Amino acid sequence: MATAATAPAHVHSGYHEPTGVWSWLTTVDHKRIGALYLYTALAWFAVGGLEAVMIRIQLQGPNGRFISADTYNQLFTMHGTTMVFLVIMPMSAAFFNLLIPLQIGARDVAFPRLNAFSYWVYLFGSLFMNASWLIGAAPDGGWFGYTPLTTYQYSSGLNIDFWLLGLQILGVSSLAAAFNFITTIINMRAPGMNLMRMPVFTWMAFVVQFLLVLAFPVITIALVFLQFDRFFGTQFYQAAAGADPLLWQHLFWIFGHPEVYILILPAFGLVSEVLPTFSRKPLFGYAVMVYSAILIAFLGFGVWAHHMFAVGMGPVADTLFALTTMLIGIPTGVKIFNWIFTMWGGDIRFTTPMKFAIALVGLFTIGGISGVMHASPPADLQQTDTYFIVAHFHYVLFGGSMMGLWAGVYYYYPKLTGKMMSEKLGSWHFWLTFIAMNLTFMPMHWSGLLGMPRRTWVYDAGQGLEIWNLVSSLGAYLQAVAVILGFWNMWRSRKAGAVAGANPWGAGTLEWSTPSPPPEYNYAVIPTVTSRYPMWDGGMQATESSPKSAKELGIPMPNPTIKPLFVALFMTLMLASMLLMHKGMPTAAVAGIITFAVLMTLSLYSWLLTPLEDEH
Amino acid sequence: MATAAAAAAGVVGHGHPPTTTGLEHRKIAIWAFIGSECMLFTSLISTYLAYKGRSVTGPFPHEVCNPPQCATTMQPILDIPVTSVSTFVLLMSSLAMVMGLAAVQNKDKPGWAGTGWWARIQESSRIWIMMTAILGATFLGFQAYEFTSFVHEGLTIRKNLFGSSFFTLTGFHGAHVTVGVLWLLTLYAIDVRRGLGPKDALLVDIAALYWHFVDVVWIAIFTLVYLIK
Amino acid sequence: MPADSRLRRLAQAALTAALIGLAGCVQNPNSVFHSRTDFNRDVTSLFTIIIVMGTAVFIFTEILLIYAIWRFRAKPGAPRPEQVHGNTKLEILWTVLPAVVLAVIAVPTVTTIFKTQARATSDAVQIEVIGHQWWWEFRYPQSGVTTANEVYMPLGKTIDFKLNTVDVIHSFWIPALGGKRDAVYTPNSGWLKYRQSNLWFTADSTTEDVFNGFCAEYCGTSHANMRFRAMVVSQASFDSWIAQQQKPAVYSAPAPTPPPAPGRRAAAAAPATAAPATASFIAFDRAKMPAHAVPRTPIPASIHYDTTLVGDPVRGATLTASSSCIACHTIRGVPTMQAKVGPDLTHVGSRLTIGGGLFPNDAKHLASWIKNSGAMKPGSFMTTLGVGQYDPKSKLTLSFGLTDQQIADIVAYLQALK
Repeated sequence: MATAATAPAHVHSGYHEPTGVWSWLTTVDHKRIGALYLYTALAWFAVGGLEAVMIRIQLQGPNGRFISADTYNQLFTMHGTTMVFLVIMPMSAAFFNLLIPLQIGARDVAFPRLNAFSYWVYLFGSLFMNASWLIGAAPDGGWFGYTPLTTYQYSSGLNIDFWLLGLQILGVSSLAAAFNFITTIINMRAPGMNLMRMPVFTWMAFVVQFLLVLAFPVITIALVFLQFDRFFGTQFYQAAAGADPLLWQHLFWIFGHPEVYILILPAFGLVSEVLPTFSRKPLFGYAVMVYSAILIAFLGFGVWAHHMFAVGMGPVADTLFALTTMLIGIPTGVKIFNWIFTMWGGDIRFTTPMKFAIALVGLFTIGGISGVMHASPPADLQQTDTYFIVAHFHYVLFGGSMMGLWAGVYYYYPKLTGKMMSEKLGSWHFWLTFIAMNLTFMPMHWSGLLGMPRRTWVYDAGQGLEIWNLVSSLGAYLQAVAVILGFWNMWRSRKAGAVAGANPWGAGTLEWSTPSPPPEYNYAVIPTVTSRYPMWDGGMQATESSPKSAKELGIPMPNPTIKPLFVALFMTLMLASMLLMHKGMPTAAVAGIITFAVLMTLSLYSWLLTPLEDEH
Repeated sequence: MATAAAAAAGVVGHGHPPTTTGLEHRKIAIWAFIGSECMLFTSLISTYLAYKGRSVTGPFPHEVCNPPQCATTMQPILDIPVTSVSTFVLLMSSLAMVMGLAAVQNKDKPGWAGTGWWARIQESSRIWIMMTAILGATFLGFQAYEFTSFVHEGLTIRKNLFGSSFFTLTGFHGAHVTVGVLWLLTLYAIDVRRGLGPKDALLVDIAALYWHFVDVVWIAIFTLVYLIK
Repeated sequence: MPADSRLRRLAQAALTAALIGLAGCVQNPNSVFHSRTDFNRDVTSLFTIIIVMGTAVFIFTEILLIYAIWRFRAKPGAPRPEQVHGNTKLEILWTVLPAVVLAVIAVPTVTTIFKTQARATSDAVQIEVIGHQWWWEFRYPQSGVTTANEVYMPLGKTIDFKLNTVDVIHSFWIPALGGKRDAVYTPNSGWLKYRQSNLWFTADSTTEDVFNGFCAEYCGTSHANMRFRAMVVSQASFDSWIAQQQKPAVYSAPAPTPPPAPGRRAAAAAPATAAPATASFIAFDRAKMPAHAVPRTPIPASIHYDTTLVGDPVRGATLTASSSCIACHTIRGVPTMQAKVGPDLTHVGSRLTIGGGLFPNDAKHLASWIKNSGAMKPGSFMTTLGVGQYDPKSKLTLSFGLTDQQIADIVAYLQALK
């Protein structure tokens, strides 16, 4: 967060951003909120990575005693929860914030204050969930928190309460952001920016927002049931009362499978921007890329039970979900080939973002193929809940999402800060990441097929697992070095990086016509778009600087405000107060809930009754 | 939003550029929100239906239960006549909402509804907004009565699967109605303080969309939970 | 289907070459590629098709990718490349290609689903598998036998496992034989009976052997320590084992030292018949146990036990039947020992492992377990019994409890329960 506290200096731009902590707390500028998202998510990436390293130290040799079984269970639960909800999703949100208005030619998002609110809810929710470490009660039910293990009867500590309340809070953040971006993309496109001219990243973001809007309510309800079971004695997950012990699994995975696409599509979008730029060719099969994403999103709601082949759903259900799952492989495969043929016949420059993007194409292919392997239920029975699955989803989420997000970081850092990141350090960062990633996760395919169940604190000696686990652990340590290099590159490039012009990479999409960093209003003149790559087709010229402020230009900009932060804070405290109920203080809990609910409502009224911007 | 100003200024400089669809942002956002709410209630209703008839102990929604299955004889607990009345009340509130929106939209055309006392009532946005809120509150009163009588008959949220899923589903709906009533009262307060006119039509419009949605959800709940045995 | 079988032969050849390391039994005892059962053969032949197809797609795609980036790398002064926006024919081609690949996988997938999930033959040996946090209970309803953590099955006979749990969801998995299937709470009556919570296979191509089993669904603190052993033995040995397991507790007392008064009562309660003829099979031969099945979990440094102590089984019987053991365990034939919370101990002496497959069943490990099971296995619900031990649940050091000599007596008794 220290990086976020001081705004980068930009000498070549006449426009000066406000500085100081207060300006960051009250900002409603989508680019600054994007930066906050990015730096916060990277901080949690470091935490989640540290958790992974501790897991790998424990598993480095058989019968490890580095940490206790309970600590281990907390670590893998929080590693998964952190990487999914606190790293990949918000890092994607960072790019949604930074890029969507720039790519569609808008001056901000539709609801700038709601945007700030989304970020503050994310920050407070993530802090709340991780505060559980301080009292030694971090969530320990696994990232998909299967009942009845997570019901009060089997987990009576605060661990699961932190998890479920934290996820409820984070869900609010994602939903608020989704409404905002849907409206922004539908309603704020510049003249000529029709849907089939939108940059592919914005398209992927658009699809992801619909997935969020439709998938998050389902987990919200699943969590509400769990919350009511734990706090109010309802019986949603009590098998003795006749409840279906699989209800949670169905609800969770109806959310959980679309969630996979929520995690991967933004990275696909970023790569679809990077590959054309450094191949100097437009994206191959733009329309098919768009339609395949829509198809993936649609089919994504019909495959959830492939996470449940081992529960015994019967041959008919197994067949049905196996076939839908295989079907979803087709549009995914199409994307891979379209990317390869984007490069085919091109003039490929191997910059750092391009290396990460190519790595995504290569590594996601592996994750996709192993995914097809467990789309087949009989084969899946031998694979599910083993390290083979761990290998699979790390190829998808690290080899796919994280590689794409790093490509995005290197590609858009100049736009965000006005400085280039070091190519030399970047090259080291990439190759270390690439090698370490494969070193860590490739052996997990073997340890899984050799009979190692996932989420195990120890494994016994003499089972043929020692060598694969040792290699995985060494890979993880190397990965830590790679991440530190990446962070160092981001840090030092703020000062030491070469000054980037408006369009340092020679890219074709609209956002590169703005100065780097863009002024608060992005576009002094709203552009008129005539093609998918206006910077290549001569439709737009780069603006190297914007010497005038919004006021001078007469552009109405939203006023900074602290109110969304307060609403987010009181909402978090309101839900956090529930914890007191399990500490034997029901009165204090109710008092806390009511107090913070009232404060939240008052701040909300105060926010809504204040005009967004000054009257003209 | 200052669409008129933007149109006057063109795409350069002053004011906001026109929206792509010509619709207000908030109108699109409320539709996205309603889409999301649909999934929320779908999950709740599906769970209720999945658990229907699965309770190990009574009270049950429709079934008559005699010893030895139950300790004492139980009558069907859902009171369809009373709930039909509350459903009617909620439906009428939607009608009032429509009238309220029309009154706000036509505020700058005095006499648009014709003449006579009924026309004057039609033109009063305050009456209709307040009436919507009152009808909503009446519905909540019915729900409070229903919940209390269920508890007296031995059905609590902890009692059985029916109790858990019924109270959670109808409770969530009731919470939505409560938010709606607060929203309407806020609009009423604004109307009293500075008067709502056509320029504020959007404010009332999105509240109305929300209100109609909550009403439609209740129709689904009433049909699936109360009427279908 | 000749094409299919050709493909299968090709696939199997490729698999043997590629996965030779995986299939080696010595180094990789728990490999899923062991074809010891019909189930695993079906899964492996299906998996082989998928691996071959997957590898082909992988090699094709990666070569295409690497070729593309090498062939079209930037050359100085190159003109702007041709601005191709797409090619409908190509795009149709690579929509159809994955579809074909997936169809090739889908057909055997569906046939294998219906084959492996058909009803087991009616003469199958029924075994009820019941998951507990964190150990396994095995019941043989056809013979009324209940045991824990070690499941015996006859060679060449179909075994039909019915999965259930008393608490959270577990998953039953013997990688080398088959599985896995989740153990989800399934009551005997009510609507939840719809679930097909069973798994069957026939261990028809193996010798007498011991296989490692695991819990594969995360189930709380000691999920990693919820293991078991599967013993495949000849039909004759199996029958003999069942006959032995059906008997109430039996132990052969060595020449008894004069036991204290209360001991006699207990000894009378547990009839001290002579050990059955050694010729009959009562458990897998400890000496023949394969190395991979011998647990190697270390004993925590905090637990000390003097292995030179000689226990008296008669005194041990008295102690066991009158101590807190009775709150959780069953020893059939001992009237006070009828609780069903922990594993059935009627024939605990014949087992090869203890603690959910964590430790070998010898005096040292058994004694350490009784002293402080919570230190031996995190989260263990068993009471800490050794005096002076630190109890991880109450976070107190016990000022009362069993002395080492008393524990030695109990160990002697339990070991005699063959």
